[in-house]
Amino acid sequence: MTAEATVGAALSCRDIEVSYGAFKAVAGVTYDFRPGRLYSLIGPNGAGKTTLMNALSGGVPLSRGQVTLGGKDITGLAPHARTRAGLGRSFQITQIFPGMTVFENLRLAAQAHRYRLQPFWNAVGGFREIAREAERVLAEVGLEQFASVNAGNLSHGDQRALDVGLTMLGDPGVVLLDEPLAGVGHGDAAKAVALIRRLAEGRTVLLIEHNMDVVMDISDEIIVMLAGKILAAGPPEEIRHDQRVRNAYLGEDE
Amino acid sequence: MSKLQPYSVALALIVTAIALSPLVLSGGNALNLVNLILIWSIFAIGYDLVFGVAGMLSFGHAAFFGVGAYVLTLLTTRLGWDFLPALGAAGLAGGVLALLFSFFAMRVAGLFFALLTLALAQLIYILAGSKLRDLTGGVDGLSGVPRPDLFGIDFFSDANYYYFLLAMFVLAIAIAGLLRVSPFGQALKAIKGNELRAEQIGFNVQRLRKSIFFVSGIYAGMSGALLASLIFYVSPQMLHWTTSGDVVIMVLLGGMGTLFGPVLGVALFEVLREWLSTVTSHWYGILGLIFIVCTIFMPNGLAGIVQQIWQRFSREDRR
Repeated sequence: MTAEATVGAALSCRDIEVSYGAFKAVAGVTYDFRPGRLYSLIGPNGAGKTTLMNALSGGVPLSRGQVTLGGKDITGLAPHARTRAGLGRSFQITQIFPGMTVFENLRLAAQAHRYRLQPFWNAVGGFREIAREAERVLAEVGLEQFASVNAGNLSHGDQRALDVGLTMLGDPGVVLLDEPLAGVGHGDAAKAVALIRRLAEGRTVLLIEHNMDVVMDISDEIIVMLAGKILAAGPPEEIRHDQRVRNAYLGEDE
Repeated sequence: MSKLQPYSVALALIVTAIALSPLVLSGGNALNLVNLILIWSIFAIGYDLVFGVAGMLSFGHAAFFGVGAYVLTLLTTRLGWDFLPALGAAGLAGGVLALLFSFFAMRVAGLFFALLTLALAQLIYILAGSKLRDLTGGVDGLSGVPRPDLFGIDFFSDANYYYFLLAMFVLAIAIAGLLRVSPFGQALKAIKGNELRAEQIGFNVQRLRKSIFFVSGIYAGMSGALLASLIFYVSPQMLHWTTSGDVVIMVLLGGMGTLFGPVLGVALFEVLREWLSTVTSHWYGILGLIFIVCTIFMPNGLAGIVQQIWQRFSREDRR
């Protein structure tokens, strides 16, 4: 954990802490996420996985520590500014715009990404570049046939795919995915994993996931959290055989 | 989208009919009523940009409305400004005040936001009636508010002033309609639909909200100025919280989140007010009851009813 490691890291956090009163949900986490790798964050419920992700994306204020993205300090930035800086995020509960069509959903993300000042002098249909971007991502997440369907009427798996599409639209270099497989049926799971693999290409991904088969399969590195701290981190094989991890977490399953 | 378009056309036709009715109707009372409807419609259309489009419940709009009225009155009567620049200044004053409100009130969300805007507006109301008496004429208000002086037309005739108001109304609808379908309006719709997601895809939620609050304040300020000029009078009553309450009721009656719904709501409200107040002095209470019944039986307002009727007819067409 030298300073040099931070320079090369896509995303890194230094001794970050998130506290709610006396309770420390994240109690001093330091980690460097290297470019192009897929990290999985695992740990029992209440270990602070989602809070850590919120701390990285700006959703909760830090009581201590520093977050840098590509070497730039983003600790003081609001979530929307971090998104603009290239940090994408999806949520545990599907977050889409249910009253709008799938295409309109993606076009909104294109707007947010492209315009610093949202144009007000012409109908949105007149801005071709955002429509093109929306169509490109529509194809990437495999929802072309649902373009004009109300997003609220999609199946859960397709809503998940749309959610990922919204996160991916700005082509973020670093992506945080909070349980992208939550509630996805068995039939759709393989499709969702394939989608995650595809978007992970050339990007740095941090994933929270409970499905151990998936985690062991797709991760480059696994980070195990317990009580707001990192218990262990390393390649899947190493984590699988780590005695502390087995005691604290994996043991329950096996 | 394509299913909604004809329904919007139906709404637009009704609104146009209301707006153009003085061309066939005669009689000073009807004309006065339509003039009132046009002015309050501008207010309601602007209010719905905040309420229906961006999803913020504000009880502070009376302040922007009333301050606009005072600004026009003071600039024209005390400083001798022409009507049109004074009207522009009234709009700007409403917008700037709204922006100022938003800096305080947007620190909190939902009901607390509504209560903060209410408190700030009441502060202005009380100031206008007491501390600022020299400027505002206190509770007596100020009379002698002028009307425009353009092209040698006598706008002191209600029939002529109607055309001026109609032009302002059309402008107000056109601008609001454009804002709604623009990327800016879509972003606001997104914030209303899912604030967390809107922020996380990169929208600066607070700045967008402040922007639409500013625009809405301009609408309120200008419509307040136009009302003062219609009745040649301004008083702190325009700043009172009931003015904010009225515009909320109008928008809900007509159908929030639609371009033409608020106009229908204003028309119903004003017609009821006109009619009930000749029948009983307790008209405001009866209006309240009607409003309660309406929100129960037509939650989407008059625009929702029009939509239902439209769908029924179009379904029968297909058979």
